[in-house]
Amino acid sequence: MTDVLARRDRALTPEETEELLRDRLGDGVQRSVLEFGVFTVWIAQEAWVAAARTCRDEPLLAYDMFDNAFGVDAREEGFDYVAILYSTSTGNRIVLRTRCEGGREAPVCPSMVEVYRGADWMERETWDMFGIDFPGHPSVSPRILTVENFEGWPLRKDFHLASRAAKPWPGVAEPKEMDDEGNIIEREKRIGDAPGPYELDKVMGEQAKLANPLPEPPAVTEEGEEVAATAPVADRASDSGQVLASDQERGLEEEQKLRHEADVELSGGEAEREPTVDEPASDVADQGESAIPAAEAAKKADDRRKAQAEARAKKAAERAAADEPGDDPAGPDDPEGDA
Amino acid sequence: MGLMDQVELPQPVKYVFNWGRKYSLWCFNFGLACCAIEFIAASTSRHDFIRHGVIPFAHGPRQADLLVVSGTLTDKMAPAVKRLYEEMAEPKYVISFGSCANCGGPYWDSYSVTKGVDQIIPVDVYVPGCPPRPEALLDGIIALQHRIQNESLKDRIAGRRLDPVTLGADAPLALEGSSS
Repeated sequence: MTDVLARRDRALTPEETEELLRDRLGDGVQRSVLEFGVFTVWIAQEAWVAAARTCRDEPLLAYDMFDNAFGVDAREEGFDYVAILYSTSTGNRIVLRTRCEGGREAPVCPSMVEVYRGADWMERETWDMFGIDFPGHPSVSPRILTVENFEGWPLRKDFHLASRAAKPWPGVAEPKEMDDEGNIIEREKRIGDAPGPYELDKVMGEQAKLANPLPEPPAVTEEGEEVAATAPVADRASDSGQVLASDQERGLEEEQKLRHEADVELSGGEAEREPTVDEPASDVADQGESAIPAAEAAKKADDRRKAQAEARAKKAAERAAADEPGDDPAGPDDPEGDA
Repeated sequence: MGLMDQVELPQPVKYVFNWGRKYSLWCFNFGLACCAIEFIAASTSRHDFIRHGVIPFAHGPRQADLLVVSGTLTDKMAPAVKRLYEEMAEPKYVISFGSCANCGGPYWDSYSVTKGVDQIIPVDVYVPGCPPRPEALLDGIIALQHRIQNESLKDRIAGRRLDPVTLGADAPLALEGSSS
């Protein structure tokens, strides 16, 4: 049927398409619009079928698929009929649109069925819904979507719904939340009531930060002396999900094992100490085997246990002191927080 | 049926007869919209209405006892529902499942939607909801089984039907009279 010479990378631009159509159809092309990525060409009624034939048969256009068609109620100006064509070779889509003759009383549009067989039922549906007649169509009746004896054209703007005549539409365009007396409930905007997805993302990010605070800075005692050089590394790693270098992993596991033992020891003496956020996951401590000889390990473990028990006790005291003085200034109740 | 539509069955016979009938409901699903998905969910393993004696997917309306209309009935489809209902053999029951089948639902003002399946066929149980959960269908089936258990076959064959039950609007099943 169509010599498909055009390919996707050589598809015509909308401007070139319009130029080509103007060349073939002359005054048949009235105007064109390119909006929202949709290229619409307004075609004069007389050139309607010729335009479809040109779109199908012109090798550079090759609109070989009849995609969709429908009517549009243009109020007092009558009705429009819109056909959407697609080219499977170029990937282009074009919208042909025409103003039907006959105004609101007897709208008429030439049928495209001789060019595209697929237009058959589309035109029947358009006749069914808008009452647009299609001369050249085999037969638009009987009705295809509504019952055969249906009266009127339901998608016309002036079509009256019988149920609405008996009972007005009970809804409202912008429903409000109301109490039992019918008073509108106004609610203050809070975090989470952000207006759009982008703002919502930001707010959710802030909330996530609040819910998961960053680990505390390296454990430095009040005297300024660093307690355990490896402890902060373990802290950060166990909390932040940081990816560990494989050579560090083994030492870290050993470290955590030691700390876990220290915790067990501590919890005996200090039963009231609250569980802290950055406690190492105890299951990690079970993984891996100790590569260090037993005697050396025991000695190291003793030293570290002492140092870490001291550090943790101090940290717990600091934390308890820091928690007491009231709200966090950037807390979730802050009304400026949701801007 | 020369005798049964004129003489009331003796109570013990009626009890056993109705007990047998109520747990063998061959069900013809008229799935028209999203409610049909809930119907299918009710028929599958999680909700499983087969344990209540409802046998889904009868081979055709002529083999079915129960018609479940689930979904939006349009005027175009209405003659088909009426015809298939008429093909079913008596005694036959209808469950209207979902707001659309009950009264048109959200399409109450549409130009093409029938305002309830009861405009064309008699309904025994209305299950409200948009769409109702499968549990609601189970409730509707149990309500229908109560009705079958207490039914007089003589009345039924003579064409005298009980008033329909609306789940949630009528008295709870526990107050409706026990089945025994």
